[in-house]
Amino acid sequence: MSTMLEAALNVRGLSSGYAGAVVVREVNLSIAPGEILAVLGKNGMGKSTLLKAVMGFLPKMSGSVSLGGSEVTRLSPHRVARLGVGYVAQEKALFQDMTVEENLRLAVRRPDFEAALAEVEASFPFLLQRLKQRAGTLSGGEQKMLLMARSLATGAKLLLVDEITEGLQPSVIDRLAGVIRSARERHGTTMLLVEQHLPFALAVADCWAVLDRGEVAETGMASEPDAGRRVLKHMSV
Amino acid sequence: MIAQTLDIVTTAAILYAVATGLLLVFGVMKIINFAHGGLMTLGGYAALITTQAGLNPWLAIPIAALFGAVAGMAIERLVVRPLYTRPLDAILATWGLSIIIGQLITILFGRGVHFAQSPLSGTLDVLGESYSAYRLALVGIAAALGIGLTALLQGTRLGLETRAVIMNEDLARGLGINSGLVRFATFTLGSALAGAAGALITPLSSVDPAMGVPWLVSAFMLVLVSGASLLSLLAACIVLGGAQVLVATHFSPVLGGLTIAVLAAIILRVRPQGFARD
Amino acid sequence: MTEARRLSLILLVALAALVAVAVGPFLLDTYSVNVLTRSLLYAAVALTVDLLWGFLGILTFGQSVFFACGAYAAGLVFTHMDFSGSNALVALGLGVGGALLTAAIVGWLAFWHGASALYASVITLVLPIVATQLLYSGGTFTGSSSGLSGFTSFDLSVEAWFWLAGSFLVVVTTLAFVFVKSDAGRLLVAIRENEQRCKYLGLDTSRLKIVVYLVCAVVAALAGYLYAGYAMVVAPELASFVFGTELVIWTALGGRGTLLGPVFGALIVDYESAQLSGSYPFVWQLIIGVVFVLVIVAFPRGLLPVVFDIPRRLLGWLRPRAARAAVTLSTLDLAETQGVEPGNGPALAVSGVAKRFGSLTVLDAIDFEARAGELVSLVGPNGAGKTTLMRCIADGAERSAGAIVVNGYDIGRKPPEACVALGVGRKFQMANVFETLTVAECLQIARARHARPSLWRRARDLPLPKAAMHVIATTGLDRQLATPAHLLSHGMKQALELSMVLALEPRVLLLDEPTAGLTKTERMQIGSILIDLTRKQGLCVLLVEHDLDFVREISSRVIVLHQGRIVLDGSVEDVVASELVKQVYAGSGHAGIAHETASPDRGSAEAVSSAKREMPV
Repeated sequence: MSTMLEAALNVRGLSSGYAGAVVVREVNLSIAPGEILAVLGKNGMGKSTLLKAVMGFLPKMSGSVSLGGSEVTRLSPHRVARLGVGYVAQEKALFQDMTVEENLRLAVRRPDFEAALAEVEASFPFLLQRLKQRAGTLSGGEQKMLLMARSLATGAKLLLVDEITEGLQPSVIDRLAGVIRSARERHGTTMLLVEQHLPFALAVADCWAVLDRGEVAETGMASEPDAGRRVLKHMSV
Repeated sequence: MIAQTLDIVTTAAILYAVATGLLLVFGVMKIINFAHGGLMTLGGYAALITTQAGLNPWLAIPIAALFGAVAGMAIERLVVRPLYTRPLDAILATWGLSIIIGQLITILFGRGVHFAQSPLSGTLDVLGESYSAYRLALVGIAAALGIGLTALLQGTRLGLETRAVIMNEDLARGLGINSGLVRFATFTLGSALAGAAGALITPLSSVDPAMGVPWLVSAFMLVLVSGASLLSLLAACIVLGGAQVLVATHFSPVLGGLTIAVLAAIILRVRPQGFARD
Repeated sequence: MTEARRLSLILLVALAALVAVAVGPFLLDTYSVNVLTRSLLYAAVALTVDLLWGFLGILTFGQSVFFACGAYAAGLVFTHMDFSGSNALVALGLGVGGALLTAAIVGWLAFWHGASALYASVITLVLPIVATQLLYSGGTFTGSSSGLSGFTSFDLSVEAWFWLAGSFLVVVTTLAFVFVKSDAGRLLVAIRENEQRCKYLGLDTSRLKIVVYLVCAVVAALAGYLYAGYAMVVAPELASFVFGTELVIWTALGGRGTLLGPVFGALIVDYESAQLSGSYPFVWQLIIGVVFVLVIVAFPRGLLPVVFDIPRRLLGWLRPRAARAAVTLSTLDLAETQGVEPGNGPALAVSGVAKRFGSLTVLDAIDFEARAGELVSLVGPNGAGKTTLMRCIADGAERSAGAIVVNGYDIGRKPPEACVALGVGRKFQMANVFETLTVAECLQIARARHARPSLWRRARDLPLPKAAMHVIATTGLDRQLATPAHLLSHGMKQALELSMVLALEPRVLLLDEPTAGLTKTERMQIGSILIDLTRKQGLCVLLVEHDLDFVREISSRVIVLHQGRIVLDGSVEDVVASELVKQVYAGSGHAGIAHETASPDRGSAEAVSSAKREMPV
C-alpha cells in the first residue's frame, strides 16, 4: 500500500449503507497510482457497497474519499465519473438495446474515438467485428469484455471493478487478467477490484484486503507466499 | 374510399406531429407534460400574430416553435425540475401551467375564436379525388419531423446521450453524462414541438384559448400506448387515428372523438407495453 | 383521551357545524345563500377526492362523473317522467345505481393487481371525457350540449335547500372523519404508503381500493342528485374533465389528506369564484392557477396545514403533546389463535420449481421438503437464485414451472395475499414496514387479516400471538409502541417487521437476510428468537443468509444453491465438510463445480490450484 500523499484513491473511515443499515464500517484503504488492489470477502460483507459508496451512488454516513489528493466525498456519481473514475458494475451495465459501437461511443468523445478503437483492437479484437451488433445479443462473457473495453476506453485513471469474473469461463478469465495487466503497464491505470474469485484476484493484484461484515479484517501483498491461505481463512464456512 | 384513406393518413400525420413532443418528454423524464396543451395554444396564437402581422404564414411555424421553446425552458427550470422525485405531482403542476397559459391568453386576446390564414389554400387532385392541399402538406411535414427527430436521436452525440438517459438514467450518469442537461434540452425541444404543432393545426379549425385541450388527451393516450419509441408512436397514430376516422364517419363524430382514448385504455389493460416492442 | 370522549368531541363539533348551517341563511344575503348551497355540495365531492387521493393515494380526475350520474338521473327522470314522490325515489335509485356500475367498471380497469398508479389516474381522466361525449351525443334525450332544464323538482325554499346541502355535507364529513381516524381508516394510509407490504400481510388491496372507490362514487352521486333537485338544470359540464380537475385543485389547495382542508378549500374557492366571476373572471382563474402550481411545487401539504401549524405549535408549547394513543398488548391464548391448521405432511414441499426470464434461467429443478420445527438456511453465492426462490414460495404467480405446496395446500397461481392465508409469512431483506405509522399501528395492520378493524373505533387492546409477543418483548419494542417506525434504528425495524410477520401466525416463515446490517448483539438476539420459533412454536423457518457463522450456529439444515440449482442439501456438518461448497464460495465458476478434490486438511492451497488449473498462482 502507499503513503497518503501520493494515493490515487484514499478512503478514510468510510461508513455507508442502505436505509439506515450500516453495511460498510470505518473502512480505510489507499491505492498508489498504477497499483491494483483486490478487495475480497464473502457475499454480503460489504464489498459492492464499498464501491458504490466511493462512486457516490450511496450516501456516506461518515468518512472521506479523495482522488489524487482532491476530495470527492460529496460529489454525485456523474461528477466522480468526469474526474476519471470508471465504474464497472456487477449488474449488466451496458445499454442492451444499443449497438456495441454506440456503447463505446457513449464512453468516448469524438476526437478520441479512433484511438479508443485501436485500444479495443489490441485487447478484445473480436469486438471490432461486432460493432453494429446490439449489445444485448452478445453472450454474458462477451458483454463483460465489452464492459471492460468501454471502461478502459474512457481513459479512466481509476477503475472500480465489481466481480467481473462472475459467471465467466476460465479462458475468458485468463484473457481478462491479461487485459488488466497490460492496461496497467501501458496507461498506469489504477484499479480497485472487488472479487470472489481468489486465484484471479491474487494473480492480477498487487495487494489485497479482506472485508468481513463491513470491516477490513486483514490486508497483505499478493506476492506473499501465504496470501492464499490467509484470505481463504476468511472465505470458508 | 380514397377520401377516407386520405383522411386516415392525414389524421395520423397530424396526431403524430402533435404527439412527438410529448413522447420525447415522457421517454426522457417519465412524466406526462400536461402543459403540452397550453403550449400548443401558445403556438396557435403565435401563428395568429404572425399572420396578422402580414408575414408569410409558413414563418408561423418556426416562430411558434420559438415561443414554445422559451416557455419550455422556463417551465423546466422552475416547475418540472423541483418535482423530479414526484412524478404525479409534476403532472398536476404542468396542468396548472396549462390553465395559467390559457388564462393569460384569454386576458390578452379575449375569449373569442379567431381564424388564422392557412399557408396553403385550395385542393390537390389525388387519384381523382379533390383533397385539401394543406392536409396533404401536413403529411409531408409530419414525415419530415419524424425523420428529423430520428436523425437527431440516432446520429448526434446529444441524441445518443438522450437515448442513454431514456434507457437507464442512473447508468448514463455513471458514465459521466449530465442527465440534468439532457432533460432540460429534451423539455425545451418537446415544448418547441408543441408550439409548432399548435401553429400547424390552426388552419384546420380555429384559434381559441382552449384549443389545445382535446389534442392533449388524444396525444397522451397515444404516448402511453407507444412507450418511448418514435416508431411505435407512428404505428399507434395510424391504427388509433384510423379507428377514430372510421368511427367518426360511420357512427358519429362525437364518438369518434372518444375512440382514441377508449381504445388506448383497453389496449393498455390487456397489454401494458402497448405498441412497444418487447 | 378515551374512545367515548374522542367520539363525543367529534359529535360536538358536528353539532356546532349543524348549528352554523341552521343559522347561515339568516346571516347571509340571498345571493350568497344560493351560491353556497352549490358550494356545499361541491365540497362533499371534494371530500371524496381527498379520500381517494390524500388517503388512498389514487389521483382521480373523474369524481365529477359520479356527481353528474346523480344529477342527470334526477334531470332525466323529472324531465321525461314528471316529478312525483315515487319518481324521486326512482331517480335516486338510478343515480346511485348508475354511479355504482360505472365505478365498478372503472375499478376493474384501474385497480387490478398489476396496474400502476399512472394507469389508474389515466383511466379516471378518460372517464369524464367519455361521459361528456356520451352526454353530448344523447340528442334531445339528454339535452345534448345545453343539458336539461326547467324540470319540476322538490318544492323547497332557498333556506331549506341550504339546510339540506349543509347537513348533507356535515354528515358526510363527520362520517368520513370518524372513518379515517378509525382502525379501518388507517388501512388506507398503509396501502398508500406500502401496498406491497399490505399484500404480503394478507390484505386484498385491490378489493379494498374498489370498495372505497364505490363508496365515494355513491356519495358524489347523492351530492349530484341534491344539486339537480336544487338547481333544476343539468348540463354536460357537470361530468367534465374541467370540473374533475377543479375538484383536485381545491383538494390540493386545501390540503390533501386532511379532509377538512379540501372541504374548506372547495367552499372558499368556489364561493369567491362566483363572487368575482362577474368582475374579474380571468384574473381570478389565473390567480388560482398560479397559487395551485405554487402549492404543488412548494407547499405540497396544502395551505390549510400551513395555516394551522401556527396555532398547533402554540398549543404544543402551552400543553405538552400527549403521546399518540396508547395501546395495550396482550398475548393470545393458544385456543383463540386462528392460525392455519397444519395439513398432512411437510410444512413446505417444493417440487420441480423453475424460474425463467426469457432465455435466462434463474432457478431450475428445485426439489426439497421442509417440516415444521426445521430451521433451513438457504445459502449460495450472489445470483444463485435464493431471493427468487423466496419470491416463488410467497407469490404463486412468480414461478415458471413446478409446484409449491404449503401445509398440504397447493399455492397454484395465487397472489401474495392468498399465500398468506395458506400460512406463508415473508420478511423482506430491506426492513419493509410502514414508515409514518407507529409501532403499535404497524402491528395492528398486521393483525387486520385476522381481526377485522373497526370502521369507526380505535381499538385499545391488541392481542398478539405468542411468537410475536416474544420478539417484541425480547427486542424492547414493547417500550416503543408510540414511536413512528421511521425513527426506529435499523435493527429495531427488522425486529418490527419480524413481529408483524409473526402476527400473521404463519406456518412457514421466509426470512431474507435477517442479519443484514445488524450489530453483533442484535444478531445473537435474532438467532435465539429463530431457534425458539422452530423449537417451541413449531414453525418451519426458511432463511436466506450470507453470514455463514450465523448459519452454522442456528440451522438444523442447510441447502446450498449455485447458479439456480441445489448443489447440496444436508446438515450443517455435511456442508462445512464439503469441498464442493468451499469451491463454490472460493469462486471457481462452473469449472470447479463438478470436482470434489482434496480433503479438508490439505487445505486452501490445494483448493485454489485444483480449481484453477489454467491460472498461474
